[in-house]
Amino acid sequence: MKRTRLVLTLIATTLAFQQLLAADGPALAELENHLANDPENLQLANAYRRSIIESGEYDRALRFFARLVETHTVAANAYLSYGFAHVDKIPTVGAVTQVVLAGAALSAFTRAVELRPSWIAYYTRGSSYLFWPKIFGRAPLGVADLEEALRIQQREPKRPYHVRTFLALGDGYWKVEQYDRARATWEQGLKQFPESEALRARITADAGRLAVMLDAAFDPTRRVDTDLSPLWNEP
Amino acid sequence: MTRLLVAGSLLVAAPLGPTLEQSPIRFEEIAAAAGVRTTHQTRTFDGPYADTLRMFTTGGASAAVADFDNDGLDDLFVTSSERGSRNRLFHNDGGLKFTDVTDRAGVGGGNDAKSIVADALWFDYDNDGWCDLLVVRFGTPILYRNQGNGRFIDVSAASGLTTFANSIAAIALDYDNDGRLDLLLGHYFAPINLIDLPTTKVLPHDLDSASNGGGVALWRNAGGGRFVDVTRAAGLGEHTGWTLDVGHGDFNNDGLQDVYLANDYGTDRLFMNQGGGRFRDVTATAIGFDTKKGMNVEVADYDNDGWLDIYTTNIHDEYMKECAMLWHNNGDGTFTDLSRETGTCDTLWGWGAKFADFDNDGWLDLFVTNGLRSAGPDNYIPVLVKMITAPGVDFSDLRNWPAIGNMTWSGYQRKKLHRNLGDHTFREMAAEAGVDNDLDGRGVAIADFDNDGRLDLYQTSANQPALLYRGLAPRPGNWVQLALTGRSPRDAVGARVTLTAAGRTQIREVDGGNGYAGQSTERVHVGIGDATRVDSLTIRWPDGQVEQFDVQVNRLTRIRQGEAARAR
Repeated sequence: MKRTRLVLTLIATTLAFQQLLAADGPALAELENHLANDPENLQLANAYRRSIIESGEYDRALRFFARLVETHTVAANAYLSYGFAHVDKIPTVGAVTQVVLAGAALSAFTRAVELRPSWIAYYTRGSSYLFWPKIFGRAPLGVADLEEALRIQQREPKRPYHVRTFLALGDGYWKVEQYDRARATWEQGLKQFPESEALRARITADAGRLAVMLDAAFDPTRRVDTDLSPLWNEP
Repeated sequence: MTRLLVAGSLLVAAPLGPTLEQSPIRFEEIAAAAGVRTTHQTRTFDGPYADTLRMFTTGGASAAVADFDNDGLDDLFVTSSERGSRNRLFHNDGGLKFTDVTDRAGVGGGNDAKSIVADALWFDYDNDGWCDLLVVRFGTPILYRNQGNGRFIDVSAASGLTTFANSIAAIALDYDNDGRLDLLLGHYFAPINLIDLPTTKVLPHDLDSASNGGGVALWRNAGGGRFVDVTRAAGLGEHTGWTLDVGHGDFNNDGLQDVYLANDYGTDRLFMNQGGGRFRDVTATAIGFDTKKGMNVEVADYDNDGWLDIYTTNIHDEYMKECAMLWHNNGDGTFTDLSRETGTCDTLWGWGAKFADFDNDGWLDLFVTNGLRSAGPDNYIPVLVKMITAPGVDFSDLRNWPAIGNMTWSGYQRKKLHRNLGDHTFREMAAEAGVDNDLDGRGVAIADFDNDGRLDLYQTSANQPALLYRGLAPRPGNWVQLALTGRSPRDAVGARVTLTAAGRTQIREVDGGNGYAGQSTERVHVGIGDATRVDSLTIRWPDGQVEQFDVQVNRLTRIRQGEAARAR
């Protein structure tokens, strides 16, 4: 009964998005109105952020989410979305402002973890730590978060997106120079997700190729894919 | 047995990498033996913000090359910045020996209680055939007139160059083609005296797009030893960035000198000369708006396509991946940054950079200095980032910047020498060439100090000794050197040389001090590889006259506008 209600809610929400997005361009104001009443809704927030990326109105999103978390101080997902809004803006700004935005995103992700220590919160913050250059010593923090995300997912039914934890955690081990654990994690992931080309590429790459691959994966100047739709689109 | 195996492995290993002897470009560091190993001193400040102010003013180590006494050998002027410390004028005695003639020349001053020496520039402002000297300061500049007898007199007051500014760069160019060299000064801070602070809000308000810097000043040479500020009239007055270097060249081949400004904390600017004493800001259409930390402007046609390109260094380090910018001139008013494609992106914390054909193969190589502050084992970056990521912090306020103490910030960086492979790519080979020092480099000046046809290289460093690298390319190509004397301006700044040898055409322009904290020789040096003769040599003089000359290879040729070429 509970599951049926959830599915119906999801369908209704999806239809609502389609109506909102079918208009001429993204109906940002309408999405903001919906989110103001439903701050925990990651799907709405995701659609809103997708539209923001298209329109380039990053500061609008930052202002909106700042207000949202101010008025909904215990809405963990609102903080997650606020963090993602910072990440979305990063490729559009200069190197120093990127650091400022990355720092602000981390603060928002941390608040989300504090409010609700979920898989998505740990996975997000853990991955975020891995983008920081080695000099800041944040990779071990990322590894700790991703280990926690792995523990959480191991208690849950298997989901396609869980493959990301194996990828990121292996990358984290590689960044803290625990190369054997990195390989073991990727291999463990590949056993569970044999279709993952990303895991296979890491396992088969030599050290030089792997370094290039991971440098590219964590290049702060490239846009990070913050699209959360696989969370609900993948069965 | 073990020893034999080790010896055998060495024999096998040796041919894998080029040795110093095999390197096509090679240098030997001889500053001490040559008598030019002077040590720059950074300015120290008093008061609670002394540490931060010193951190933001670590420039000032510059070198400027010119043959000030017209004896056929390029001399060297080197600056220092600490209060009471003296600049040095080194006379080239030949045989790579120099004599310090500062006292006799009377050009050692400038670092007084209110002023900090930041750069220097040779130019013949009065067209009398003797190079005069401008000492650029955080303060007012000093203009020394060369009396032609080894002595200089301070003519600053009469020149009109009496406006206070935090000038850090200077070039001489004839922007209005009136035959007199004008001055373009780049200003870093807004015009606030850092030694006597009226406010603590003197730093950039934004670290990626600051607009509270000093901008530039264009001083028109009005003749009679007078300069007039024409910045606004020329269309350069709207620029208020943190100018770190200025450069010029004829980027659209129309006979007018255009200007590129490298700006720290924000967008570099490109101004095209419209004629009639006016420039037009074409940044938006020509290069776009960057958010980088422009440090250097070097201008040359690196790919021999007949259009001048621009190289500017930025910060590319572990914590900040900006890349240098090699602006390839597309010949249609636009430029494309090809630093990644050419292999010239990664210069670490770049400063001065210069193109020069170190092996005379007909392709311009690129030497880049780098390194901000080499000190103790602790790194300043994590401390700095803590400040930067604090909510609502005002970057412009000195009070918010954590003291650096003895911490290192982008220090101990190895210099970069990019050898031009002639196929739009470069190969980094500083270590092979023997120039991979890890000093906190600032300026680069290129000259053939011993007239042997192999270019030498002088590097200044902040608070550290300068280095003189003698060019020792083992198998250099043939070469041509030209010393040009124009009708007006006499030192022919802006003259365009087009030389063809063995089917390859190269262009050079005489520049008036391009490159951060380093002025290279005014001579034109062209490597021509295996070619044994020059097929054609055309000079477009600054006044537009075009002449053709015959020149010999492997020698310096003096050319006077309107006269036949005379080989030395």
